Amino acid sequence: MVKAVVGEETQLKLIEDRLTQSRLPVGLVIGKLSSPLDRGFVFDLIPTPPNDAREPACSLVETTAKDDKKKGPKSKSQASADSSSSSSSSSLFIDNDWVAEHARQVARMLVGGMKVIGIYIWVSDTVFKNSTITLCQLLQTVKGVAEAAPLLENDREERLLIHICYSPMRWTCRNCTWTSNITSSSLRPCDFKMGRVLTSLQTFKCNYSFNLRLPICQESSSNIQTLSDVLRQGISHHAKELKDARAVIDGNLVISDEPSTSDGVQEVELLLPFMKDTYAEACSQKDVLGVLLFKGSVCSFAYLNSKEPVSQAVADIKRDIIMSLQSRLDIICDEAYGDMGQTEDVSQEASDGISTDKPVSQLDLQSLRKECSLSFPRRVFVPWLAGTYICDYLQPSETLEVLKDHCVELMSMEAPSDASTILEPEKEALSLVTKPFWDVAIPFNSASCSPLGKNGIDTREESGKKSTKSNNLNIVGAILFLLLSIVVGLVLYVVRGSKT
Amino acid sequence: MEENTSVRVLCPKLLLPHKNEPGFQWLIGSPFFPPLTIISTVRCIHTLSTSDAPDLLKESEDLRALLLKGFDVIGAFVIGKSDSESKVREAIDAARRLRKLLSNGGEDLENKEMIGAYVDLNSKTDIRFFVSKSASSTSIEPVNSVVHEEKPEKFVWETGCLLRCEVPIRFPVYFPVNSPIDAEKIYWRATEAVAAKLKDPQVVYMVETIRKTSAEGPKPLILRGAELDFQTDVSNIKLLDKDAQGSDPKCIPCAHFCLKSKPDSQKFSAENADTIQVSVLLNNSEKSLKSIAPVAEYVPALEEARLLVVSFKLEVLCYAAKDIPVMYAVSKLIIPGLVDQLNSMKNLILPNLLTEHPQLRPYHFNPPGVLHPITVIYELNYGETEMKQVEIRKSLHLRLGLPFDRPLLRIANVLDLSTTNVGGRSDSIRKGSTFLKDVHIEIPSSGVSGGSMSLVQGSYEYYHYLQDGFNDSGWGCAYRSLQTIISWFRLQHYTSIDVPSHREIQQSLVEIDDKDPSFIGSREWIGAIELSFVLDKLLGVSCKVMNLRSGAEVPEKCRELALHFENQGTPIMIGGGVLAYTLLGVDYNEASGDCAFLILDPHYTGNDDLKKIVNGGWCGWKKAVDSKGKSFFLHDKFYNLLLPQRPNMV
Repeated sequence: MVKAVVGEETQLKLIEDRLTQSRLPVGLVIGKLSSPLDRGFVFDLIPTPPNDAREPACSLVETTAKDDKKKGPKSKSQASADSSSSSSSSSLFIDNDWVAEHARQVARMLVGGMKVIGIYIWVSDTVFKNSTITLCQLLQTVKGVAEAAPLLENDREERLLIHICYSPMRWTCRNCTWTSNITSSSLRPCDFKMGRVLTSLQTFKCNYSFNLRLPICQESSSNIQTLSDVLRQGISHHAKELKDARAVIDGNLVISDEPSTSDGVQEVELLLPFMKDTYAEACSQKDVLGVLLFKGSVCSFAYLNSKEPVSQAVADIKRDIIMSLQSRLDIICDEAYGDMGQTEDVSQEASDGISTDKPVSQLDLQSLRKECSLSFPRRVFVPWLAGTYICDYLQPSETLEVLKDHCVELMSMEAPSDASTILEPEKEALSLVTKPFWDVAIPFNSASCSPLGKNGIDTREESGKKSTKSNNLNIVGAILFLLLSIVVGLVLYVVRGSKT
Repeated sequence: MEENTSVRVLCPKLLLPHKNEPGFQWLIGSPFFPPLTIISTVRCIHTLSTSDAPDLLKESEDLRALLLKGFDVIGAFVIGKSDSESKVREAIDAARRLRKLLSNGGEDLENKEMIGAYVDLNSKTDIRFFVSKSASSTSIEPVNSVVHEEKPEKFVWETGCLLRCEVPIRFPVYFPVNSPIDAEKIYWRATEAVAAKLKDPQVVYMVETIRKTSAEGPKPLILRGAELDFQTDVSNIKLLDKDAQGSDPKCIPCAHFCLKSKPDSQKFSAENADTIQVSVLLNNSEKSLKSIAPVAEYVPALEEARLLVVSFKLEVLCYAAKDIPVMYAVSKLIIPGLVDQLNSMKNLILPNLLTEHPQLRPYHFNPPGVLHPITVIYELNYGETEMKQVEIRKSLHLRLGLPFDRPLLRIANVLDLSTTNVGGRSDSIRKGSTFLKDVHIEIPSSGVSGGSMSLVQGSYEYYHYLQDGFNDSGWGCAYRSLQTIISWFRLQHYTSIDVPSHREIQQSLVEIDDKDPSFIGSREWIGAIELSFVLDKLLGVSCKVMNLRSGAEVPEKCRELALHFENQGTPIMIGGGVLAYTLLGVDYNEASGDCAFLILDPHYTGNDDLKKIVNGGWCGWKKAVDSKGKSFFLHDKFYNLLLPQRPNMV
């Protein structure tokens, strides 16, 4: 349970300025909660931008207002920002879904050890007190945010609710906890003070590569297993394996729970059990349709408060790796849904009913009988506060320009002016050179060497490849062969006949 | 020149042939010992059907699994009846070829010295030793100087330590449904790929000490596959160590993970040896690697394919000199050990690849009389009492020269290395038993002058009145004595059943129709005959019964009883007219006829306080006639002595 919260003092002025200007009274708290230290650290507050319909996420609705104005919260927001004193009885309206969506998008851009840890509201004390808004309503918002940007797999969740009052200027912080349902939740005040948070952060880096081979087994049931479903399963399974991984930091095995004393970027290496393919277990003795190869690397960062134990950095790195994979898959799926909507319109015009333009991520592997590949977006890092980085993902077709929009809109920061400050450690994934199934199936087999040399399997495999690549051709071949044999037979018969 | 060479023999007993029959044994040594040092011998049990020459292929398969890495075949020992020289030459040649097979042809044996030993059964002379200097020369030189090490255990465990590495491996094998032959090929290649991966630069070996005296042990060492040296020969390693002793992790010797000073009470044995734990991990995060964003690619099977998950539980134990760098212990012992074990298991699974896989597990044993641990792979699908497993154990007993009536290689006998505290570890703590064990160990002597003691062989638990809150005072002494006897069979691993309660004992007597059902739950006495029934029913143990009409006859049987303790070594139950006792030994002076009996009295009603038991004489030597002239065995009562026979099983 977090008892004290420290806010980054260098950001204080900036935040207050930004809040006064932006007139966006609700937003996200970015920071870190440390349960071993019982402390929370606030790095920055990010206002939630207006939604797609240009409506702000939060508005003040006067209950005494006329009926016809009730449905126009946009106009009310102006009133709330302009004059807080004017309304004596008003209620705060928060678009929970939109705030949660903002949290989801922002969480994708944060690296290890930086999280969406709650929400803030920026209203005057009188409004806060006089408004009929209950704390419970705010908790709903916090909970929505928590669900959109989960911190841990724990059952007990904890988030912050920061209320910033502008007249007089005062910050109050509450700690929200809840278990499974909102009724057992609680809001407790906790200490809030300003201090140096960002400058004392330690940086950990990991370049993690993985190579998963996920078997697709024949399911008797008709449940559709799309490529993205399988990948999601694979990622969450890998998360479990990664959890037990040992870590080496700058060449030293992490054994104690002491805080780290070294400066500079510390290199983390993760050591996994030698060969424990537990994923395939479920498919043992089953017929297999194919193998989904999922490989590549994730460049990961984590930031650690100097008082936190090193093991926390390791846990943050591991989580960042998994989150990064999940985020990329989410991005692909989000896009696919968008495309699907478009293609549906198009397919109306298309003459043949079956749409073959289904996005790759939505292909059903149970029925798919051909190769396909899906490149994940690459991760880039954008400088953020005090030498830290946030991240973003670029699809193969996208350029760095896309980043600017994200930075400005979602993170409420200035777009990076100098492209050279952006880190691009990950190379774009190239479509792999397609390897035959039997080569892929051998564990540890890399592209360079094929353990299946010149042997029976190889030739079998080739013939198999041909046959399925062009089933029609094969049938044609068979017919041709049949014809040929009949002709030969006839010829022989004739020749024999002529001899006798 | 020959005067300088001498053969050092560590094992005192092993060079004696089993019975008086011709035989062939391999001499075992270690690259970490001075040349020509024999640590043990193992019998050759596979011979070619055409002649009595050893079947080297089969022998090498067996020995590869059995011998720890760090021990080698260094020669052969012939027990024969004629023409020594040529036999020895053949034997040395066989040993050399066997060693070549064991090292998978990778070792250069051209100039390795090999020992040949010969004993002539007819002439009853001493064992003669010969040395062959190199593979190319056919001449063998006799060695006249033979040194017997006085404290071989101390030598072995001061010189070296154990390294243990456990790797569970599980990998998928995809195979075409309609071609099982290909399944075998793919399986074969998959295991090869795994074996090759053990030497991969990405693999990381983590070395740490198992036994820590305190929390402040040496830090675990990380050895990367890329740094490992697989080329240097084991015999050249020590030289490297001497020039570069620094903080370089490559040069950290095994001793770094061993205890610096040992408590004096520490016994030198494999169980107490310094043990280093090695774990195999895979490093998935290399700095230098080029990062490429993830990509998913679906590769469909173009013909019907099936998936089979194969799993291996590898566990190797190696012996290494403490002064060699750990790095070499890993690259030259652990990794080859893992590869060999993987291959052995691969071959065992192959015939049943597509059906039920045998559940293979390696176990390490350190049987009594053998100076070094051994490794055995057991198949446990049907338990260890299955005939096939019994046969495997029998052949191992034969190979190692172990008695055929002592279960020494059962799973219960495994070498326990998992312990965390050093010394002072008693078996009862380990097994969670609350009963006192071996209470006779420190009792005062019998007072028989010049007598020779014959005692029970092995541990037992002391059962007596009122134990476990069960009031059997006045009637349960024979039951308690039976419990003590059954605990002995349990502790010698002849059985795994729990020691039966009074009720369970009564139950089994009813089941064999010896007693009426009303007997269950009663407080009726039982006697020696009933005990023999129960032992037969529950353990399949047969007993001899000695009927004596009077207590006066007991001392006359002293000689017979001494023989029982020497040959059978089981506790004896004394029943009959009055009280039931357990007899644990006799002290007998054959010349004077003076004798005493080591009695364990089940009538004790106090708590399990060893001091109280010994001081109260509840366990102690009883003379037939004590100093006050009182007879221990009453002359007017009859006695039945129950002598359980040691089962002939392994």
